[in-house]
Formats: sequence, C-alpha cells, structure tokens
Amino acid sequence: MKKRGTGLSCTWYGTGYGNGFPDVSSAFVEIHDDGTATVLTGAVDVGQGSSTVFAQIMAEELGLNPEDILVCSGDTDVTPDSGTTAATRQTYNTGNAVLKAVRQAKLRLQEFAARKFSCPSPEGIEFKEGMIGVRGDPSRSMPLSELVWEARLLHGERFISAASFTAQTTPVSLENGQGAPYWPYAFGCQAAEVEVDTETGTVRVLKIVAAHDLGRAVNLTQAEGQIAGGVAQGVGYALLEEVELTEGRIKNPAFAKYLIPTALDVPEIESMIVEEPEDTGPYGAKGLGEPAMLPTVAAIINAIDAAVGVRITALPATPEKILAALAEKERGGSGD
Amino acid sequence: MVELELTVNEKTYKLEIEPDERLIDVLRRRLGFTGTKEGCGEGECGACTVILDGRTVNSCLVLGVQAHGRKIITIEGVGDRRRPHPVQRAFVEEGAVQCGYCTPGMVLSAKALLDKNSDPSPQEIGVAMSGNLCRCTGYDKILRAVQRAAREVSGK
Repeated sequence: MKKRGTGLSCTWYGTGYGNGFPDVSSAFVEIHDDGTATVLTGAVDVGQGSSTVFAQIMAEELGLNPEDILVCSGDTDVTPDSGTTAATRQTYNTGNAVLKAVRQAKLRLQEFAARKFSCPSPEGIEFKEGMIGVRGDPSRSMPLSELVWEARLLHGERFISAASFTAQTTPVSLENGQGAPYWPYAFGCQAAEVEVDTETGTVRVLKIVAAHDLGRAVNLTQAEGQIAGGVAQGVGYALLEEVELTEGRIKNPAFAKYLIPTALDVPEIESMIVEEPEDTGPYGAKGLGEPAMLPTVAAIINAIDAAVGVRITALPATPEKILAALAEKERGGSGD
Repeated sequence: MVELELTVNEKTYKLEIEPDERLIDVLRRRLGFTGTKEGCGEGECGACTVILDGRTVNSCLVLGVQAHGRKIITIEGVGDRRRPHPVQRAFVEEGAVQCGYCTPGMVLSAKALLDKNSDPSPQEIGVAMSGNLCRCTGYDKILRAVQRAAREVSGK
C-alpha cells in the first residue's frame, strides 16, 4: 500500500568560519576610463555564482551593467586572499570586501566629479546608467567613461582601491558558554510530502517547499538554484547516500554503488525567499548555500513518520530500514 | 595502431588510434574536442555524453574503433556563443548552469531528445535526462530549461 505524509523541519546555521578565527576577505578595485571596472578577489566561484554577485555589487554602486565589470578571481598571482569558498561565506564576506573597496574608489570619483560640476558635496553625485552627475540635475552630468578619462589624462587621478572585511565573531567561553561564535546566522524551514510504499519500503519525495532567510537576494535565480541544489543533496542524504566502510576502506567509491539523486529522484521544489535584511551584510545579504540542504533531511524523515508511523534514526532511510521498522511496529514494538 | 575514419560535427577525420582507445580519448586528446568531459569513467554520470548516429552514448564506454564510419555530435557541434542551440539558450535563460561540468552532456541529452520528440512530457524529459548526474543544480532549472527549449523547437 502507498501511504502519504508530510513533515516539517527548521534550521538555523552559523555562517563563516566562526569562533573568532580570522575570517577575512579582500578586494582590489579599479574604475576604468572606458566605462568598465575591474575587481580582483581571491574568492573562487565553483558554480554558486560569487563572481556574478561581485559584478552585480560593482555595477550597482557605479551605475553600470554587470557585463561592464571584469571579475578576476582565484588567481594567487594577482588576487588578494579572500578565504575559502566554504562555510556559506562568499556573498557575505567577500561581498562586503568588494562593496567596501568599490565605495572607496567611488568616493574619490565623486569628489572629483563634485569639483567638476561645482556640487557642494560628493554625496550629491550620483551614478546612473553609465552616467555620472549631480543628483536631480541631468544638465550637469556626463558619461562615466569621459569623466574618468578626463581625470586620468588631464589631472593624473586614478580610481583604485583595496579593502578587507573581517567577520566579527568571538570564541565561546568554555566556562560560561558565552560569546558570539558565528555571525550572521541563516534560517530556513522546509516541508516535505512523501509517498511510502509499505510493501517495498521505497520512499518517493513528491514535493519540497523550502523557505530560506538570506537577508537579501542579490541574485534571485542563483538563490533559487542554490535552494534546489541543496534540496537535491538533502534528498540524497535522507534516502540514498551512504559511505560503506570495511576496515577503513570505502566499499562503494563509485556512482554505481554510491547513489546520488538523478533528475527522476528530485521532487517538485517550491522555493520561498525570505528577505529579512542583515545589517552587516552587503545590501542586507547573507549566506544560503549549506543551510539549503539541512532541513530537507529532517523534513523527509518526519514525513515518513507521518505516512507510516515509523521513526528512522539512522541515515539514509533505505527501503531495508523502513521495512524492518514496519515489521517491528507490526510485532508491537515502538517502531523506533 | 588501427585506422579510424569518423565524422565529428559534420567533418570527416582519418587517424590512427590504439585498438583499446576509448572514444572519449579519441575526441579529447587526438581531435581536441575537450567540451566532452570525463566524470566517472564508468558510464554512470553522463558527463561524457556524445550523440552517435542520433543516439546518446557515454563516450567513456565506447571504443574508438566502434565509431568507425559513424557520425558523432559533440557539444562543439551544437552551437556557439554567437549562434546557440535553443537548448543552450534556454539553459542560459533559466540559469540552469552552476559549476558547468555536467552541462555539455546535459545539453546533448536534451538535444537528442528534442531531435526525436519536440513535444515531450515532463516525465519523458525526466527519463531522457536521468542518465546525466548533476550535483549542484538539483535539476530543477535544467528540467525547466529543457521544457523551455521544447516549447521553442515545437513552436508552442
């Protein structure tokens, strides 16, 4: 018989290295006289999209298109260290370094522009659609490229900057448990609907609804992609993936025996982006990567319990374990 | 060494290969079609997918000599930046690429499906793509991209 159930799960997750470990990212920025800009960081984009995020931050600050930004990343010959692509930290940590750096170069450009346009303060200078000029007065504006060119060739001014950002955490006191071991924290909640076949013990995940607080979605498509990727890994974690060891050797070091989800194993995924701005993040953003997979596992295990009344306490919840738990329950055991 | 004649992306090549050489090595090392990626090397992940006489194969499981006299399409023959295939365009538009390692195989599996069936059901798309593993995307946007490409190809 096939039985359906739903389960819910919540997660909170400390992003970054934590515990007072120096969590530092750095960036070099230059605004060019052809209407483009370059940012160099050590942050490696492994597909999660950090380079796109940095291009967006640069473009947002300078009133350019993300296509106008050259992101040079992960080249130890030329880029400053930005730590590892790990701990759900690049958008927050290196994003902050990029924002800090570009705002420094931008301020010097604003000061130059304020003199040029007889504007009393650099804050009165705005960047919009490739133009730079006095806020609210289109007659006093010109293409960014031309102004930077004029500054460079007639006045010898360069708009180059470097900045670092360090996440603020402290070690936890071992005496009283006090401290701020991580900052910021990411929050998420997922619901799973599953169908359990009581004859074969197989579980089909029908749908996952995933709500995640990421502060601010710098790139909505990428955020949805991270959630879907996390959910798929969570499905594998919950139902399929197990490293089998014999005397320290992995018995199944290949995809034929270590199964990961395929396109047919992933459920319908509905993602809900919760934007509760994080004061210390770039535009309020914080990380999403790892938290996306964590609640999936517990939501599926809870849904199995709701469907057939057995509690699986060792992952993955294989058909063998579910059948054994169902048989135990039949015999009058607790099913635990 | 044995002689091999095969057509890759509508161009015919004559070369000498080892009799036990895999097709993926012929394509990557001898002919330079490095868009074909090697993942697991045992036919499970689909990263090395190419289209052989209209059907997708794992090029790590095919011997070079088995391709003698046959026609192969690799990712280089599907489209390029200036003239992308509808599947490639849909992948970009849907944001279906993360690390990108599975992408050439995914695109070829989708193209092979749409070449035969321009109006596939979601289930048919899932089956057609299930031989290609992806660890980043959760497949969600990949499946949406194939649906989008199907709509474009079928004109619906």
